Amino acid sequence: MPDGSELQRHDPLDGLEDVPHTGESVTSEGLLVEPQADDFAHAHAAPKDASWYKHAVFYEVLVRAFADSNGDGTGDLRGLAGKLDYLQWLGVDCLWLPPFYASPLRDGGYDISDFRAVLPEFGTVDDFVHLLEEAHKRNIRVITDLVLNHTSDQHPWFQASRSDPEGPYGDFYVWSDDDSAYSDARIIFVDTESSNWTYDPVRGQFFWHRFFSHQPDLNYENPAVQEAMIDVLRFWLDLGIDGFRLDAVPYLFEEEGTSSENLPRTHEYLKKCRKVVDDEYPGRVLLAEANQWPSDVVEYFGDPSVGGDECHMAFHFPLMPRIFMAVRRESRFPISEILQQTPDIPDKAQWGIFLRNHDELTLEMVTDEERDYMYSEYAKDPRMKANIGIRRRLAPLLDNDRNQLELFTAMLLSLPGSPVLYYGDEIGMGDNIWLGDRDAVRTPMQWSPDRNAGFSSCTPGRIYLPVIMDPTYGYEAINVESQQDSPASLLNWTRRMIQVRKEHIAFAEGDFVDLGGSNPSVLAYQRTYERPDGGRDTVLCVNNLSRFPQPVELDLSAFQGLVPSELTGGVRFPEIGELPYLLTLPGHGFYWFELCHSDDNDPR
Amino acid sequence: MSSTPWMDVVLQALPDWLATRRWFAGKDRPIDAVQALETTVLVDGDPALVHLVVEVRQGDRRDVYQLLVGARRAQAPDVPAAAVIEVDDGVTMYEASGDADLTSELLGLLAREATIGDVSFRLEPDVVLDAGLRGRPITSEQSNTSLVFGSQYILKLFRRLSPGLNKDLVLHRALRDAGCQHIAQPLGSIAGRFDGQETTLGMVQQFFPDAADGWAMATTSVRDLMADPGTAPEEHGGDFSGEARRLGQAVAHVHADLARALGTADVGPDELAGKVRTMTARLDAVAADVPQLAPHVPGIRAALERVRELPTPLRSQYVHGDLHLGQVLRTVGGWTVIDFEGEPAAPLEERAALRSPLRDVAGMLRSFDYAAHQLLVGQPDDVQALTYGALNWAQVNRDAFCEGYASVSDLGDPREHAVLLTALELDKAVYEVGYEHANRPDWLEVPLSSIARIVEGVA
Repeated sequence: MPDGSELQRHDPLDGLEDVPHTGESVTSEGLLVEPQADDFAHAHAAPKDASWYKHAVFYEVLVRAFADSNGDGTGDLRGLAGKLDYLQWLGVDCLWLPPFYASPLRDGGYDISDFRAVLPEFGTVDDFVHLLEEAHKRNIRVITDLVLNHTSDQHPWFQASRSDPEGPYGDFYVWSDDDSAYSDARIIFVDTESSNWTYDPVRGQFFWHRFFSHQPDLNYENPAVQEAMIDVLRFWLDLGIDGFRLDAVPYLFEEEGTSSENLPRTHEYLKKCRKVVDDEYPGRVLLAEANQWPSDVVEYFGDPSVGGDECHMAFHFPLMPRIFMAVRRESRFPISEILQQTPDIPDKAQWGIFLRNHDELTLEMVTDEERDYMYSEYAKDPRMKANIGIRRRLAPLLDNDRNQLELFTAMLLSLPGSPVLYYGDEIGMGDNIWLGDRDAVRTPMQWSPDRNAGFSSCTPGRIYLPVIMDPTYGYEAINVESQQDSPASLLNWTRRMIQVRKEHIAFAEGDFVDLGGSNPSVLAYQRTYERPDGGRDTVLCVNNLSRFPQPVELDLSAFQGLVPSELTGGVRFPEIGELPYLLTLPGHGFYWFELCHSDDNDPR
Repeated sequence: MSSTPWMDVVLQALPDWLATRRWFAGKDRPIDAVQALETTVLVDGDPALVHLVVEVRQGDRRDVYQLLVGARRAQAPDVPAAAVIEVDDGVTMYEASGDADLTSELLGLLAREATIGDVSFRLEPDVVLDAGLRGRPITSEQSNTSLVFGSQYILKLFRRLSPGLNKDLVLHRALRDAGCQHIAQPLGSIAGRFDGQETTLGMVQQFFPDAADGWAMATTSVRDLMADPGTAPEEHGGDFSGEARRLGQAVAHVHADLARALGTADVGPDELAGKVRTMTARLDAVAADVPQLAPHVPGIRAALERVRELPTPLRSQYVHGDLHLGQVLRTVGGWTVIDFEGEPAAPLEERAALRSPLRDVAGMLRSFDYAAHQLLVGQPDDVQALTYGALNWAQVNRDAFCEGYASVSDLGDPREHAVLLTALELDKAVYEVGYEHANRPDWLEVPLSSIARIVEGVA
């Protein structure tokens, strides 16, 4: 979803003068000359693994916020590349970078003014190839956001389109003589926009935009636009990128008399993109950002009979607020319900799940009265409204309670889907609510107790956002260096849990069975993966959502004779019998077990 | 293994053994005699399973119970020791509901709709049972014995038998036919003959392995509130009012479906006066036993008397009859109401009678009060903040329940029927006073303080 923040106004050409960029020159037919992949070095591919995304641990990192290599106060691609050893040590498999393209930055970089150039303060395309090369050496993949639906109004395509309606770009955007068409499409940013149409005095016509009026929608009716955007995919895929998170996918096409969302032709186009990826770049992935109900989002995985032929992954949006709600309520039902109503997904598809990301948590999905009554019922529960519209990091949301941080992380790593960590949450970073808008959760990564938290060597006044300095979450107390040295730190704990997760494919690809149980505060589930050879990997996860110690009796009779072995310490619990299996958990405690055969007869 | 020789041994041992059973209702007086009415061998051999219907005589009281008796020669079964009835001549005779080898046979008999002697196993229309699952008894029950088969089915065996079809089965069938979404679907039943009538011995239903009962849900919320006294109930994280509202809706749907399926009746002034007399008689009886009730008696009596002045006719219908938070299950699909037998201790006529649906509402409102106060029992006196929190919690959730009920029911908001609702709540609270006085004196204050508040509110 586009981002409402306006960090700084940029002239989109500032800093691009000396690097290849779109519109440097124009051909005699009026076509803009665009940089080609062959103008740059290409990164070596990551090790082959067709289903890597199904068992990867993702890490969302803002280039601006991670590490500053040149001392200008802003993080950059070279700085990020210099921290790959840390990310490999942590166990990260794939980086997700929000957009780093050339942009006037009126929408946090989601307003792209050149799909083939890097925002100068982050570096160059060559720097990105360097990052890819270094990441792939460490078996880390990199995906980034790509906005298919629209561009910045500063994009040379739009500039050409508005000034030369008859030229090759005249039909690249959705133009109309009046503002009456597609009136059934809702306005998404109701706070700032009064219409999906804006008048352009240059061309003397209205242009269509589902988001901000400085972000005109591309006209997908035009085959040239469809091809141009696929060429953008090819540009980055040729350089070696491992995939894209496709931003705001439901809105590509418009159709009179519909909501102009999730239209069949939008799906057709995604199938086309997928075919390009499968045919030309096997092993790369598309991840859909569609902030919709799981039952609608599954459409973006495509045809289940062929294992899915649109996006490989999609975010599961409603799960996250329900994890928070379930722990607040000390009740497993908010989680159990949403998972029960999540449809099966195609064989080659995978959910992405997260606790926090760079956006605020939206209630968009909990207020839609057209949905199942349960969804709308929950919106009436006061806590849902009060505490979910939040712009905070995980640690402050959980009152910096280590037990809850561990419980939430354990659920993130064990519920169905590939987990996405948000940079800094692995050390329990805080936020700065005094910063405007969503910047509260975008402060510099805290590497050490040194100046600027080790993020940058610049004078502190130059830094893009001040580092966190309060006594609880400040960089002197919370930083990577000190936590790496402390075996009991949240960072080392998180790393250990990621390792444990990787030892069991059931966490990644196992099916999910909610075990219920008589205690409403205990969420227990089993994940079972059946290997091609018929063997099984079964893990059992038991989570106490209450702050108080709880007992739970679980019906594990299907596993009679097996022995639960706790995964972090290897302690064997009593053998499972026919009667309900009794466990007791401390407040906000959890267990991960694997189910083993009894070793009573093993030599010892 | 022929059953006859050892059945006599069982019958001789039963008087002592019965008195130790949780479901045996006659623990308050000695057993004069136990006589077998029916003996049906369900499984012959070793082990053997015998269905036994016995009549227990205690003075002028005659009650009929059913038993499942197992017998094994080779090896004692792996069941709790208390279930053994007698060991004789190398044969162990025992209560068989814990013996999965034998109880799985019951499911098989149901699946193939067997008839053995007078005992017949029947499925509901269009039901196919997955036989071969092993059963285990659930441990929390008081008056019946239920077996869960493989997380799919639950078989309830009614312990104390009354001739005829059991109300639980009748109402479940009616609700199923009405398409009610808030019940566990009835799948089959076991019937025998007793006093010349076909009599329900058991009922098998859909089991919800994901369910948590309403009492556990509500007390979780209360516990959370008590940990932060001073927070308003609707502001605290464990707020239950959304659940209470949905629960009110579920109960209203059940009432509407029962009325539609089985009809309603009008209660005229004479019948109404009779009900007031019944309630007043209960008040007098409890007051005679419990001196602490005395100061409230005039207030309660006045509130009950006010019911006589209600404009008639009032509507009556089949209701649950013993509704409280322990009789509702929260499943992933929403709230489910279980156990439509009515109050087990009440006489049969009273359980079978049509009643005001407000009787169920009153039961649930009382239950919210209990849930709110249960953590205070046994606490030192210095609990003012907690008491305040408990009252607040009860009020918020009682209101939410009534709002939910009103949003569905054509009866409207139960609180608008204040005279009747108050009388029914007081009647229930008086019953609770009697129960707590006899069983849990520490808890007596819970219904007594409620009565004080209700009477004060009315006055």
